[in-house]
This record gives sequence, structure tokens and C-alpha cells, in this order.
Amino acid sequence: MTQKPEEILTLFSKSEELLELFRKGKAFTEELMCENERLRYRVVQLETEKLDLSDMLMKEIERVRLENKQLAQKIEFIDHRFHEVEQENKDFALRYVEVEEQNESLANLYVASYRLHSTLDPAEVVECIKEILVNMIGSEEFGLFVVDEETQELVLAGYEGEIAQRLDKERVAIGEGLEGMVAERGEPFFTEDAGEAGEVCACIPLKIKERVVGVIALYKLLAHKAGLTPLDHKLLELLAGHAASAIVSSKLFAQADRKLRTMEGFISLLRTR
Amino acid sequence: MSSRSLLVVDDSATFRQLLRMSLQRVNGISKADITEASDGAEALEKVKSSSFDLVLTDIRMPKMDGLEFVRQVRTELQRQDLPIIIISTKGADDDIELGMSLGASGYLSKPISIIRLRELVTSFLPE
Repeated sequence: MTQKPEEILTLFSKSEELLELFRKGKAFTEELMCENERLRYRVVQLETEKLDLSDMLMKEIERVRLENKQLAQKIEFIDHRFHEVEQENKDFALRYVEVEEQNESLANLYVASYRLHSTLDPAEVVECIKEILVNMIGSEEFGLFVVDEETQELVLAGYEGEIAQRLDKERVAIGEGLEGMVAERGEPFFTEDAGEAGEVCACIPLKIKERVVGVIALYKLLAHKAGLTPLDHKLLELLAGHAASAIVSSKLFAQADRKLRTMEGFISLLRTR
Repeated sequence: MSSRSLLVVDDSATFRQLLRMSLQRVNGISKADITEASDGAEALEKVKSSSFDLVLTDIRMPKMDGLEFVRQVRTELQRQDLPIIIISTKGADDDIELGMSLGASGYLSKPISIIRLRELVTSFLPE
């Protein structure tokens, strides 16, 4: 069996094509293997990077946790300090109010004592005591009694409200009634709180040492006052001493002044004769 | 707070002295800034002749009471800008309501609290 030269050439050409195909396949396979190698290397690289990053992340998380803990401690400290400062602030505010109340108390006491001793006119002294009882203590109904040395009775020298209508002849015998008993014993009498209509009962003796020269009786406070405050008690204590001396000194001055005028009148009369 | 001029009106010299002392403890108010009057009529004359930043007046007074004083300042003198604080002795709501309806700017009740007085005065005396 003999082949024709054309067929042989065709076969040769096909074998050449097949060989070329194999060569290309080999080159492509080599390229793939090279790429595979490169990719494997890249995977190893990425794995290493991943491990490094994981380590870094863990360290960062740990650092943030630590920082968070420190910040929480700081917040707790600041919160604690804030509460301490808030408490101190409240204490200071309370202290401020206390100081203001003390100032108010001192101002009231100063004005009361200043006014009581600013005059030697008995009527003005009585008016001053009334002003203190109305404006500083807030009494709506009260009576100021002065001891009459001759009759040994309490005489109503000044009042506010309806007290004068209740008293017969505006006089109270010493030892009788609350006012008389306070004058006799020389001890003050207080009820704690005002009643619904502001009724209160406070009766204080006006004393110079142990000598009672009068009595102040409070029967009713102004409607908005619930009772006597510590400041009211201080003012009443002050009145007990200072009002007594103001009343007595003004009386003595008035008597001396009257006597002086009488004597001057006599002297003047003698001179004219 | 700069220097202020205040008028204190009360027939009680004791209360005027107490108010004077209390007001002097408010920042910026000195003894010289406080003028006194013993009734509404005297206060009205002082308001006509001088300039005040604030008036504190008792309600019950002889000659002219605090309510009439407020009415005259608001209607006859047309001084709507002058703050007037009325001070009630009896603590009666009627007096206070009437005073506020006549144009009073605020009120206090006797015996006054210095803290309340200072708050009220400061609120009517701007910086």
C-alpha cells in the first residue's frame, strides 16, 4: 500500500499542527503551574499577615479594654467626687441659709434694741414695743401691761386687737389670770403652735433683775404665721429685758423732768417776787 | 450692680430702720441710696420730685395708705415703669389682691424674711 505524496504532505502538516498544539498546551500548563506557585506564595503571605493582624487586633482589643477599665474607674471617681461636691454644695447652701437667718436675727435684734433705747418718752417706748410686736414678731393681737406701783395692778399701756374690750377697766390684779400669774411668778409662758385662726398664747414678764415691771401677752399671730419661731423667742427674750429698762428709764426721766419743771416754776415764781 | 435709688414708705420708724438695714445687705445698695417716707402722701411728693428705681411701701398708713399711693403713682403720675412692692401687715389676701390689681409689682408680708426681701428687690433691680 503506497500513499500518494499529497496525502503524505497533508499528514505531515497535521502532525505539525498537533505538535504546535501540544507545545502551546505545555506552555500554558507551565504558565498555570507558575501562577499556582505564585498564588500559593501569596496565600502563605496572606496567612502570615492574617496572623499578624489577628495578633495586633487582640493586642488593640486588650489595650482598649484596659483603657475602658481605666476610664470607667475615672468616671466612677469623678461621679463619686461629683456627689461629694454636690453634697458639699448642699451643705454650703444650708449653711448660707443658716447664716442669712442669723443675720436676719441679728438685724432684728439690733433694730429692736436700738429703737427701744432711742427715746426717753414713755409713750414712744410703748409705741416702739408695739411696732416690734407687729412688724418683727407678727402679732395681730397683743397687750402690753405695765405694773402700777401704787395699786400693784397690771395696767394696759398699749394693745392691738380686741384685748381692751375683754378687760374690765383695762386693769389686771397681780396673781389673777395668765397675765397676773406671769407677773407674780416672773416666768414666761408659751404655747407651742398657733391655732387655726392664728391664736397663740405667749406671756412674758418684763423684768429688771428680779423686779417685774410689766408683762407682754400675745393672743394672736398674723394669719400667715404658723407659730413663734426661734427668732421670735429671741426677740421676746430681748424685749423682756430691754423693754423693761426702756419703760422704767423713760418713766423715771418723765418724772424727773416733771419735777425739774415744777422746781423751775417755783424758782421763777420766787424770783419774780 | 450699680448704685440704685430706693424709697421705703412705712409709718413705723422701727420697720423703716429694719428695711434700711436689710436693703443695705443687697449688693450695690448703700445707706445713701435709701430714702424714707412715713406715709403715702409724703412718698408721692418724693416720687414727683426725685427719681427712684424701686419703692417698698406698707399698706396700712395714716394720711394716705399704700394702696392709694400705688393708685396715684400709676394713674395720676402715669409711672407704669416704677416697680412698687407692697408690704402687708395683716397678711390679708384682699389687701394684696387689691394692691396687685392697682398696679403693684410684688408683695411681702410682715414680718418680712430678709432672704425673700433680697430676692424680690434683686429681681426688680436689673444688673
